[in-house]
Amino acid sequence: MKNFKLHIMVAVFIAIAELIGVKTFKLGPGTVVLLPMLYALIFGIFSAPRFLKLSKQQDMEDASALLGITLMLLMARYGTLVGPTLPKIISASPALILQEFGNLGTCFFGVPLAVYFGLKRETIGAAHSIAREPNVALIGERFGLASAEGRGVMGVYISGTVFGTIFFGILSSFAAASGIFHPYALAMASGVGSASMMTAAVGSLTVMYPQMADQLAAFGAASNMLSGLDGLYMSIWMALPLSEWLYKKFYKIKYGVEPEKEAANNENV
Amino acid sequence: MKTYNLVETFLILCIVGVLSLISNTLGSKIPFVEAIPGLLILFAISMVGIAMGKYLPGGIPGVAYVVTLGCILTVPGVPGAEFINACMKKVGFVSLCTPILAYAGVAIGKDLDAFAKTGWRIVVLSCSIFIGTYVGSAVIAQLILKAMGQI
Repeated sequence: MKNFKLHIMVAVFIAIAELIGVKTFKLGPGTVVLLPMLYALIFGIFSAPRFLKLSKQQDMEDASALLGITLMLLMARYGTLVGPTLPKIISASPALILQEFGNLGTCFFGVPLAVYFGLKRETIGAAHSIAREPNVALIGERFGLASAEGRGVMGVYISGTVFGTIFFGILSSFAAASGIFHPYALAMASGVGSASMMTAAVGSLTVMYPQMADQLAAFGAASNMLSGLDGLYMSIWMALPLSEWLYKKFYKIKYGVEPEKEAANNENV
Repeated sequence: MKTYNLVETFLILCIVGVLSLISNTLGSKIPFVEAIPGLLILFAISMVGIAMGKYLPGGIPGVAYVVTLGCILTVPGVPGAEFINACMKKVGFVSLCTPILAYAGVAIGKDLDAFAKTGWRIVVLSCSIFIGTYVGSAVIAQLILKAMGQI
């Protein structure tokens, strides 16, 4: 906390990142959007002893410990994004609300693959959600970000930050081109709880269906706000227990024994 | 995990607040004086939420109180909601992410070797997770919209 060198270094990274500003360019059917937060992340990574040697072990440990609290201002802002549109969300159609349960699809796709890859408790952090800020904060509070679960959620969070926007833009144009889904359904699916990912996914759709552009953007935004509202509770009450359960099942299939008890992995909590 | 008491939390939030002000001012061209009320409100919501998480029974994490408080305070019709919304318009959502990711980047340095080892697996895993949530939601939305005759 009293590591002033760390805070000043971070302040410089932020200033440079913001001065570079937002950059967009087209890639195939999607639009690639580069935000200052991405540059800030990269500057931070490159300050490591492995690269520019700007930060020492102590700085990295301090930054890691602070992370949970640095998220709080953003979380408060997140709530204030949802509040003003709450009446709209309440009057939204049942489809909009029920499709939220589709977000549990992360567990069914993610847990088996993670166990197959040989990940242990990292699986729980990585596969219970798409690992946006609220999920990182949740895992941080429950397990600590230095734990195995914390490494898992941070891994997906970093991948999502670096590749997520690009990936969702391309994924949604491919899904639309497949012809299986109505564009409305895809617009609702785009609201995964990340404004940039949703914007990229809906952006690809509006390029393909310009006559529906307004409707698609409205569905995408409403679904995204809904994910912001329920995402955390869904993680706490449904996705985390479901991930634990699936993890046990698939762990037994792969290794033939029950996984070790949680406590053994979380002694540093 | 290292836990901070409320005084330490207060000081850390102050630092993050100042950094957010820097990124908001440089990134959005909004004069920094205009962003101060919004940031102070976010600061207050965060402190109250964290304290509730610490002291209220039920084991609900502070972050859930923080999001819920932010939401309730800005619902149209709630006293003061309009004022808070007006303040929030001066605090860019994306600007608030920049300080977090700068710290995250520095923190990642610690785990770079581990990440390099599991890196490609996490990236493939992330892509499958993204496909999972997207396709899962699309299938349900498609079925319900069809059943209701809206498409």
